[in-house]
Amino acid sequence: MPTFFDLNVHAYPETDVQAEDLLRVARRYGFAGIAITNHDLVVHEELKSPFIVRGVEIRAHSVLELKRKVTHYWGKVPLLAVHGGPDKLNRAAVEDARVDILAHPCGERGEGGLNHVSMRYAAENGVAIDFNVGALIHTRGGERARILSSMQEQLKLVRKYKAPMILTSNAYSIYDIRAPREMIALATLFGMSKDEATRALSEIPRGLLEKRWKREREVERL
Amino acid sequence: MKVMRYVPPSLRERRRYLLFELMGEREIDKRALLKELGDSIHSLYGDVGASEIKLRLIRYHTRKEGEGVVGVLRCAHDRVEEVRASLACIHSITDARVSIRVIKTSGTIRGATRHGGNAASR
Repeated sequence: MPTFFDLNVHAYPETDVQAEDLLRVARRYGFAGIAITNHDLVVHEELKSPFIVRGVEIRAHSVLELKRKVTHYWGKVPLLAVHGGPDKLNRAAVEDARVDILAHPCGERGEGGLNHVSMRYAAENGVAIDFNVGALIHTRGGERARILSSMQEQLKLVRKYKAPMILTSNAYSIYDIRAPREMIALATLFGMSKDEATRALSEIPRGLLEKRWKREREVERL
Repeated sequence: MKVMRYVPPSLRERRRYLLFELMGEREIDKRALLKELGDSIHSLYGDVGASEIKLRLIRYHTRKEGEGVVGVLRCAHDRVEEVRASLACIHSITDARVSIRVIKTSGTIRGATRHGGNAASR
């Protein structure tokens, strides 16, 4: 059985749930580890468990602010994610090889996205494109349809340029975490194959944590 | 009086039984779960999809305080992934936040409820 990772989880102090509680549920569900990526906030206190990765999700309103924050956090935090959404920010994030993850590039409500040029940068720089499964759980009807169709579009480009992709829950509480098999089932809703989804939950996150593609820059070998 | 429809075993619909676990903020009523699950399936797959999935709740068992619920669902044998997705899409029932996962699938109720074996998330 592959080792699964959920690389976008929000914990205390951003939310009222402790990282240890999230990890307990995630481990029970079959994850090997999680990464705490609070918005612009690094968990400073000693994390007892080696299965919790310290990360940060950078939220910026302008490209300049984004670059400043990336420079600030780079080297201090093992996992750098960028809060995606507006096209300009997405583009700036994938152009920067220091960024590990572009979280929900379609925006949390399916409004933005990456075009073919940005996707090529993502593949070259080893910036993982995140498919936020949490957005599918918390919406219904027309809104969910819009999110699904923008995810389908992204998936097409990800496949074409062989950019790394990951699946995350974007959980804010222990009730937002879904077991790996359930996440894979949700990923099939927007056209991801089972194999792709399994890799997006296990191999690729693991490679991100080991910075595999940052050293070698060989996305093709995936 | 209900007439038993007899169908020879070789012609019966193939089914899968799913052992699931529900973790919630509060105790969840069986009816509320069924309603939410029906809504979720309809929202994702519509009437036609729901008719093909053929979902039934077979067992529903509340465990000790704070340990949630386990139960068995039945569906068509080739629609397990659809049910999984519908279960995953449920985020709250009667305003209590919940999360549901499938522990095990099997072709028989006995297989789904039996201990050991491939009881892991696979």
